[in-house]
Amino acid sequence: MFRRLVFENSATFFTIAAFVTALSIYLMIAWRAMRMKRPQVERFENLPFETETPAAIGFGPQAAPGPVSAQNRHARSNRRRNSSS
Amino acid sequence: MPAHKVTLEFNDKVVRQFLIATLVWGLVGMLVGLLVASQLNFWQLNFKNELLSFGRLRPLHTNAVIFAFVGNMMFAGIYYSTQRLVKARLASDFLSALHFWGWQAIIVAAAITLPLGLTRGKEYAELIWPINIAVAFIWVVFGVNFFWTLARRREPSLYVAIWFYIATIITVAMLYIVNHLSLPTSFTHSYPLFGGVQDALVQWWYGHNAVAFFLTTPILGIMYYFIPKAAERPVYSYRLSVIHFWSLVFLYIWAGPHHLLNTSLPAWLQTLGMTFSLMLWAPSWGGMLNGLLTLRGAWHKLRTDPVLKFMAAAVTFYGMATFEGPLLSIRSVNALGHYTDWIIGHVHLGALGWNGFMAAGMIYWLLPRLWNKPLYSVSLANVHFWIGTVGILLYVAAMWTSGIMQGLMLNATSDGGTALAYPNFLDTVNSIRPMMLMRVIGGGLYLTGFAIMGWNFWKTVRGAQPVNGTIEVFDEVPDTTHPAVPAGRRIGVLATFINPPVLFTFLAIGFACAWMFGNHLLSIAGLIGSILCVILAYAHFESRGKSWANWYDRLLVNTAPFTILTFIAVFAGGLIQIIPTVMVHRAANVEDRKQIPYTPLELAGRDMYVREGCYTCHSQMIRTLVPDVLRYGDYSRLGESIYDHPYQWGSKRNGPDLARVGGKYLNIWHLRHMEDPRSVSPGSNMPTYPGLFANNTDVAILPTKLSVQRTLGVPYPQWTDAEITERVNTQATAIAQDLRAAGAYVGPEKEIVAMIAYLQTLGRSESTVKPAKATVSAD
Repeated sequence: MFRRLVFENSATFFTIAAFVTALSIYLMIAWRAMRMKRPQVERFENLPFETETPAAIGFGPQAAPGPVSAQNRHARSNRRRNSSS
Repeated sequence: MPAHKVTLEFNDKVVRQFLIATLVWGLVGMLVGLLVASQLNFWQLNFKNELLSFGRLRPLHTNAVIFAFVGNMMFAGIYYSTQRLVKARLASDFLSALHFWGWQAIIVAAAITLPLGLTRGKEYAELIWPINIAVAFIWVVFGVNFFWTLARRREPSLYVAIWFYIATIITVAMLYIVNHLSLPTSFTHSYPLFGGVQDALVQWWYGHNAVAFFLTTPILGIMYYFIPKAAERPVYSYRLSVIHFWSLVFLYIWAGPHHLLNTSLPAWLQTLGMTFSLMLWAPSWGGMLNGLLTLRGAWHKLRTDPVLKFMAAAVTFYGMATFEGPLLSIRSVNALGHYTDWIIGHVHLGALGWNGFMAAGMIYWLLPRLWNKPLYSVSLANVHFWIGTVGILLYVAAMWTSGIMQGLMLNATSDGGTALAYPNFLDTVNSIRPMMLMRVIGGGLYLTGFAIMGWNFWKTVRGAQPVNGTIEVFDEVPDTTHPAVPAGRRIGVLATFINPPVLFTFLAIGFACAWMFGNHLLSIAGLIGSILCVILAYAHFESRGKSWANWYDRLLVNTAPFTILTFIAVFAGGLIQIIPTVMVHRAANVEDRKQIPYTPLELAGRDMYVREGCYTCHSQMIRTLVPDVLRYGDYSRLGESIYDHPYQWGSKRNGPDLARVGGKYLNIWHLRHMEDPRSVSPGSNMPTYPGLFANNTDVAILPTKLSVQRTLGVPYPQWTDAEITERVNTQATAIAQDLRAAGAYVGPEKEIVAMIAYLQTLGRSESTVKPAKATVSAD
């Protein structure tokens, strides 16, 4: 049975079957993605912006340190308090 | 219970650690790369010392760049973005620390063992078995930490970057484990479970997908997070990113056989590899365009922001590399490009341009955030960018030119295709020397740029206060009333499989297998079942399409089912390629020619060949191409390497193919060649191997090695230890006497004798064709 997979030309059918399978999946996913609702798309594409990532401002020696948020300061002071106790 | 706000502090310490490791190992990996590139120009840089020879350092370079540089960068990016995307701190500080320190310990172990010649002899899979176990363990630690974090997430939806991370974790685990299955012979040595064509196929299934799922998918996830953040606008098309993900995951896993085109690999597998590689053009370019178009309206920022500059260039290089990859997978193009510097240029376009520049962009973006101090110098970052870009262009242009010239010269024939135009391999080596030098200059420039980033990094973080990001979250269940979150969102294990799309897919695959593999009746049943399945699936989809859509929407917010189905998608691709070949790879199935097992001395010599990394420059696979046959002899058959654990077909020819070198030269020629290659091959850039003349062959280990080989299916008789020693002595003495007769005095116990024994047996095989019996008619 397996011998023919190596030596017979009919084994090229595997390639065709694999191609058709992959193409079907591709078309299915493409169709599904295209039909995503706008609110759903907006929700997903804005996920990276839901968490702020404040940076130190500007570049070079004149630049100022970034705004450390109140929560950040709070977390750091908590850490210091914990380590001192 | 009323919800109240809590402040969540992210674990950014581990991100900082991985960033520093990225920088350090990047410098080490590139420095070694520069050295090995220089060794090809100036053989003296091998320092007549095996510890520093090309064959041992080249694996160190590739492993350092892939697993140490890109690995650490990837972990930093994944940990930083995942915490923020799912609004949860990493699940375990202990696992995070174990992941970081365990990974660094693995890198150090690799940096020690590879120069010592402790290797498995397979590209990007050289590390010895105890380190393999450590890698698998640390990868599991990473996976547990990641999925545990997802389980504790406060954001129900999974952003597309997380999808790419999930695919990376599960696929790399699968590939790594399968390709590293080995039987140990000692604490530092093992033989792979697979041999010959099986090993070649499994190796490139792994090797290609190491590029796909270690160097591409995690970096794409990083791209989908960091480019929108840096450009301050959402990804160009989220819909396109969905198509990008699924099509990439489905297609990539099938493309491995394109590394074995025109070899003795079954034709259907070669066609499969080529077809799927060509199909990869679509998702790769879809992703590339999605990344670039995210910068719409923000192009002006490229003038001032080095982060965007690096990321835009990285995505462009990704596009170039993924255009070139499928191109090289076309069988006729591959006949020209394979085994040449063109492949090296292609790989470095991705590694330096895509991985290296994404790493730089990410580092410059993270520095002011993780240390709360502005970047020390934007000018230096710009200098880094331009030096790096010029370096890449020089490098790649040199390798393209060199590779195409190599391919054309080695394939050129005269006299109507009956003779080689350049019969001496060294003609090509000497022709590409200027390009090899230009590569060193290009690589040197790139490394200089990277070192500038290191300086900028150091000046930025020196004296700065490390800062962990925080977020205020409501301590309650996630918002499930949002329109993006489907009702009844949990899927559960049973419903992962018991739903129309998955059931129809499984049924169709089952029927198709029956059709292809079954006997006559089963085959017909399979055909009918397949057709019925497709019709029923279509009918069901038409009438109950909403249930299909609802299931898919729920899948996007359910980690476990999503992971399971992604795993099945990548697993199926591997299974269909590998299972038939594993099953057919039996001596009884071999047609035409079958390898004769090595004698104990030859096996010892072969292990030295693997130890010295000879496969990094010499192939053992004569392709089914006229120039290959004219140059090296009859094309290689599958059966001729059936007992090779590991296979040594190779992927690059800095020197000629050795598949049929046995008997081509005298023993004394091989001795002189190892002692001083230039004495018999003027102009050669091969290193010398003084260790082979100083060290003795380890005969004591041979009984164990032969026993393991027997277990792997190599038909060795049950020799006693004394018989093995006797056989070694007899063969070694004969070679030593022959060398003495030619004027060289070498003890039979020296390693060079075993190496010569191995080289002289290459190409030896027995015919499996039974001679036809002549019948004489009575009349």
